[in-house]
Amino acid sequence: MKRLMALLTACAALAGLFVIGPAAAEDKPLVVGAIYVESVNDYGYDRAMKDGLEEMKKNIPGLKLIEAENVPETAESERIMEGMIQQGAKLIFATSFGHQQFAFNLAKTHPDVVFEHAGGWMQAPNFGNFFGATQSAWYPMGVAAGKMTKSNTLGFVVGVPIGYALGNVNAFEMGARSVNPNAVTRVVVTGGWSDKAKEAVAANALIDQGADVVTMHVDSPATIIQIAESRGVYSIGFQSTEARALAPKGWLTGLGFTWGQFMTDTAKSVIAGTFKPAMVRQGLGQGMMAVAPFGPAVPPDVRALVSASADRIAGGFNPFTGPITDNGGVVRIKEGESWGGDKMGNFDWYVEGVIGKAK
Amino acid sequence: MNTALVVGVVASSMLSGTSLLYATLGELVGERAGIVNLGLEGIMLIGAATGFAVTALTGDPYLGLIAAAFAGAAVNLIFAYLVIERRANQLATGLCLMFFGLGLSALIGRPFVGVLIDGLPRLHWTGLAANGIAARLSSYDILVYFAAPAAGLIWWLLFRTRWGLALRAVGESPASAYAAGYRPASLQYQALILAGFMGGIAGAHISTAVTLTWAEGMTGGRGFIAIALVIFARWNPLLAIAGALLFGGAEALQLQLQAAGADVSPFLMNMVPYLLTLLVLVVWGWNRQSVAPAALGRTFFGVE
Repeated sequence: MKRLMALLTACAALAGLFVIGPAAAEDKPLVVGAIYVESVNDYGYDRAMKDGLEEMKKNIPGLKLIEAENVPETAESERIMEGMIQQGAKLIFATSFGHQQFAFNLAKTHPDVVFEHAGGWMQAPNFGNFFGATQSAWYPMGVAAGKMTKSNTLGFVVGVPIGYALGNVNAFEMGARSVNPNAVTRVVVTGGWSDKAKEAVAANALIDQGADVVTMHVDSPATIIQIAESRGVYSIGFQSTEARALAPKGWLTGLGFTWGQFMTDTAKSVIAGTFKPAMVRQGLGQGMMAVAPFGPAVPPDVRALVSASADRIAGGFNPFTGPITDNGGVVRIKEGESWGGDKMGNFDWYVEGVIGKAK
Repeated sequence: MNTALVVGVVASSMLSGTSLLYATLGELVGERAGIVNLGLEGIMLIGAATGFAVTALTGDPYLGLIAAAFAGAAVNLIFAYLVIERRANQLATGLCLMFFGLGLSALIGRPFVGVLIDGLPRLHWTGLAANGIAARLSSYDILVYFAAPAAGLIWWLLFRTRWGLALRAVGESPASAYAAGYRPASLQYQALILAGFMGGIAGAHISTAVTLTWAEGMTGGRGFIAIALVIFARWNPLLAIAGALLFGGAEALQLQLQAAGADVSPFLMNMVPYLLTLLVLVVWGWNRQSVAPAALGRTFFGVE
């Protein structure tokens, strides 16, 4: 009899498992997939993405993160994301510009999975995109450079001269001019987001031409910051605020992406089933960009000026307010006019004070 | 034109020309033995990754350099086995080697992305810790100083030694060399090991002396430029010095001109080094037949 009871109990327990099974699946923690175009240890763009995702993971207990690095911007990325969906991912961050089309294809065939793409424009009920509003945030970087330069010459290495990158250069120079009317910015374009050897030659060329503050818009700032440090000039970083480790002496400050809060909010909305796609572009004011800690070379009065300038940008000040003249003397933004978020990709000219040709 | 620009171009072309020269010399020795290696880019990448990794691990850039040279030679040995022993098509095998190198170097370099190294020390030949222009023109790492002598040494080996004569004979006509009592396969192996050695050093120079960082695919096509430079140099190691300086100089000049604010489109500027390479191939290409090793790219199937 006892045996029969035990058997019955076991059967009941088994049955219970089956009944509870699907219910337990409902509470299953969210699985998030993320693909990076390069390695996450590069002090650059991918590092910033990784830091944001780690913050999201910390904020939401039980969340599982599946990651893949060095994912090319080809159909290969679609297969990798498909694999993540097979592993249960319900939210996928496609973090490089070229991943957009492939993530979008999957969004159509997997309506139950939410996709967030960095930097693109496509929209679907389960497909949103996000990016930092970098241009205006470069203004306080210019303030730091303009105050610290002794030669009044700043150097800027640009990977690919797209409108957004030119906008960064423009805000940087305008920030520098706001505190130092004699500051000029020399620009060198390497033609690629990640051509290290060329970046090294470009940074050297800028320093040869008198630049004593060097900054950049490339994938990873590591090479350029190290060249600046080895030649004894100041550097300002971009992409990840952690790049300061590369230049213990010459680091002034830097601009980094801080995606953590946005990623946390997105994951929470997916868990709650309230996800709404949007084209999110946020800057210093909303916490999607941050000014990196200052280096030891920066005196307190300059720190105060830079922080004040960053607060002003965060408070809504738009540096792209006319009249703004390009470096050929043509008025590009008229008095009373101002350029906002949707026009940031339209720059094909440099502001007055930038030495370089845009096209 | 200002002084800073001239100084900058000279200094930068020495620096970026160095890795090109080592790579070109390696490829040149292989081609003199009759073997085209399109996988040079892959060899350079493996050298760059290994050199950087060993430097980061041991803190000794010279050890990194030695490791890179041996890694380059070891991987080129695989290529040698395939094209000499297995008689595989050289062009196809070379391209495979390039992709293999891309993958393997990514694997080797993976834990070392973002690691900080001091890199190859700069030696001041003036004996003084110079500043400004003087420092820019007088402080280079050891590989820069050895680059031109290396070209001289390779020239001497190829044209003034019995070994070089035999090697060139293999490149011109393996059957004749065989008939003269040499073993073509053995000489080709030696040539390719030397080529791998040089290719590895070339890659390590980029990662441990120029950029001080490792990134995937960081050689950026310089391996292919070096293959073009072999043709430019007409398979002569001494002319290769000019070729490497010319290409390194073109790249440095266009970046310096941008920094100096020249009124030329950056898109056009970035094409200059490649346009120059194309131009050189067009100008020199026509009489290529007369100087190229006669058996270049052909598989030697032995003598019946």
